[in-house]
Amino acid sequence: MAEGAKEVKKSRPPLDPNSAKYKLGKIAGDAFKDAIAAKAAGKPVAWVSSNFPVEIPETLGLATAYPENQAAGIAARGAGERMCVTAEEEGYSNDICAYARISLAYAKLKECPEQDVAMPDVVLCCNNICNCMIKWYENLSQELNIPMIMLDIPFNPDYEVSDAEVEYVTAQFWDAVHKLEKLFDLKWDDDRFKEVSGFSCRSSRAWLKATECAKYVPSPFNGFDLLNHMAVMVTARGKKEAGEAMETLLKEYEENHKNGTSTFRREEKYRVMFEGIACWPYLRATSRGLKDRGINMVTTIYADAFGFDYNSFDEMIRAYCSVPNAINLEKSRDKRIKLCKDNHVEGLLVHTNRSCKLWSGFMYEMSRQIGEACNIPVASFDGDQADPRNFSEAQYDTRVQGLMEIMEANKEARKENEEKGE
Amino acid sequence: MNRELLEKFHQVAVSPRAQMDKYLAEGKKVVLTAPVYTPDELISSMGFVPMGAWGADIELNRSKEYFPAFLCSIVQSILELGMKDEYKGASALVVPSLCDTLKCLGENWKYAVKDIPFIPMTYPQNRKPDYGIKFTRAGYERVIRDLEKAGGTYDEEKLAQSCKIYNEHNAAMRKLDQVLAGHPEITAAERSDIFKSAFFMTKEEHTALVEQLIADLEKSEPADEKLPVLVSGILTDAPGLNSIFDEMNMHIVADDVAAQSRQYRTDVPEGKDPLTNLAQKFADMDNCSVLYNAEKPRIQWIVDTAKERGAKGVIVVLTKFCDPEEFDYVMIKRACEDADIPVALVEVDRQMKEFEQVRTNLETFRDILTI
Repeated sequence: MAEGAKEVKKSRPPLDPNSAKYKLGKIAGDAFKDAIAAKAAGKPVAWVSSNFPVEIPETLGLATAYPENQAAGIAARGAGERMCVTAEEEGYSNDICAYARISLAYAKLKECPEQDVAMPDVVLCCNNICNCMIKWYENLSQELNIPMIMLDIPFNPDYEVSDAEVEYVTAQFWDAVHKLEKLFDLKWDDDRFKEVSGFSCRSSRAWLKATECAKYVPSPFNGFDLLNHMAVMVTARGKKEAGEAMETLLKEYEENHKNGTSTFRREEKYRVMFEGIACWPYLRATSRGLKDRGINMVTTIYADAFGFDYNSFDEMIRAYCSVPNAINLEKSRDKRIKLCKDNHVEGLLVHTNRSCKLWSGFMYEMSRQIGEACNIPVASFDGDQADPRNFSEAQYDTRVQGLMEIMEANKEARKENEEKGE
Repeated sequence: MNRELLEKFHQVAVSPRAQMDKYLAEGKKVVLTAPVYTPDELISSMGFVPMGAWGADIELNRSKEYFPAFLCSIVQSILELGMKDEYKGASALVVPSLCDTLKCLGENWKYAVKDIPFIPMTYPQNRKPDYGIKFTRAGYERVIRDLEKAGGTYDEEKLAQSCKIYNEHNAAMRKLDQVLAGHPEITAAERSDIFKSAFFMTKEEHTALVEQLIADLEKSEPADEKLPVLVSGILTDAPGLNSIFDEMNMHIVADDVAAQSRQYRTDVPEGKDPLTNLAQKFADMDNCSVLYNAEKPRIQWIVDTAKERGAKGVIVVLTKFCDPEEFDYVMIKRACEDADIPVALVEVDRQMKEFEQVRTNLETFRDILTI
């Protein structure tokens, strides 16, 4: 957008309360409200990392808030820099993950109009996303003087999850349950656990199936939808209504396909996979940079990231040990190759995310291998999930343009080959 | 003072490749060990010389094909050295899973340095309960299997013997740290050499030299006290940094440096099963930024040690992009300020050529401490 140009906002009709968008938006919003209400009623609240087994707090009836989800919301609403600077004034380096900085700033201020949450009585940390999470939660625990429950799921250098790892994580699972029971006088109930697991699997299955609809050409959805809907998978996948809303989403995508419609409201000229966490402060700019060129981001590893479908306790543990940032290069690569192939991806757009060392640290090699295996071009851009100071719209535009030109040249070459009958 | 001995430490510290060549020429096999903690007792017991691979102060070129610029330069320089064949001849590289950047090192190493196998050591963060010890042990068993592929042989008796040798070295290093606190004439640069050389020698050899140095120091009259400080960080071996400590007339009376004293705080306990004893050692370790502990006892350890050793200030040497240390720094700063101990923060990295900013910071800090 030209500097100084102003966007003219169109008034939007109210959302249909039976639509997936309405239902998912409500669930995501209620997640924050419910925890605030629980706190006001004197009930304990936990701050939870996004890939912590949701089955634990949900079964125990512990109210939850998800700092990553909160930080993404704050960043998307334009307060990322303000909160990051607050943390930096406390001495936190600007090299630290911006979600962590925002969260630690919130722990100090205890308010942020862009997204308030209930203050916690305990923090539940799981490092299957990154070890940065451990340090972040240690500091939250210290800053707020509340206990920390640590469920350690180490990065797995092997392709398969070992029995030793399952045994280690299982022991911690029950340790975490017992500690929480004792801390807040809660009671574990096997029947409730079964019910919650059922909800979680139901949400996950519907989510996975909905994201798989990108196999259709054109795709019945704009991949940026996934970035928003993912919030429900993070915060509420163990709730009954999440499963229902995800099934509605799946139904809508299937209907879009049948009707030849899509939430990607342009001609879909190119299909890419987006790699990395969204640049929340620039969601609109990053989305528009693609949409204006007819590029649909049809898939992302998020499609897999929150698909916790399992048939037994062991399988559940293995699922938590196999989330995207806990697995080795080969397994990470193969999952992405499958997504690219299943969804007819023509290019890979990689967000080299300043906030996420683990996600970006072996991405160069992995994206080379994916590009080679799928015969697709790869372009990367520098950005940040929540600190707007680490993103340049001009660089993004140049990289996306370059990617588009290669995809176009590939299309033409394919067309020529087809005409020659090769 | 035995200058010859100090010169020996210096030579080893600045010539790791020569040390490696010496061991290879003697028919020994070398296994590289990445920061921060690796089961060196085990590696040594299986017939290898473990050599610390903490990178080097070099320009990063080829590693940029694998790492974005915002990852710590210690780890990047390890890959750079590997890609430039500086580690050629090593039988393997053991990398622990203790921080996010180390996880990436192993994954990249597999493709960037194909002739030196990567051996992961997956440590648990919930390392203290029985299930944590069991998982550490399982990690060691994995390392054993990989080292066997590299030509090593596992033997319980040999591991027990190796643990004893390493415990003796730990004891010597702890004693040395205490003795050095009373001898300001040993410069920061010399202190760094003594610690750094430990990574490139067998523990038997290093213990013998350290014990000799301790004996010499105990016989000698200490020089007048300079400006006593405690230094904390991951790595403080840059000559540019140590020469500033020395120029500022600073005396390191204690360190909380990962590449120095943090290595030697914990011994392998005695017990029936040497591999479990080694896992117990990891369970007993604490006071380190890469070891989970919700209570963060490291912070109080720094305050207490600074007081106990009479340090007038604490200098945090932050390796750029090391987030475990960056998180702890905030707590260190607050705790020291609460205890009326001045704190200075200096940022370093492996690619740094100019230390002028460090000099300015430390000059100001010296002035504050000497007012």
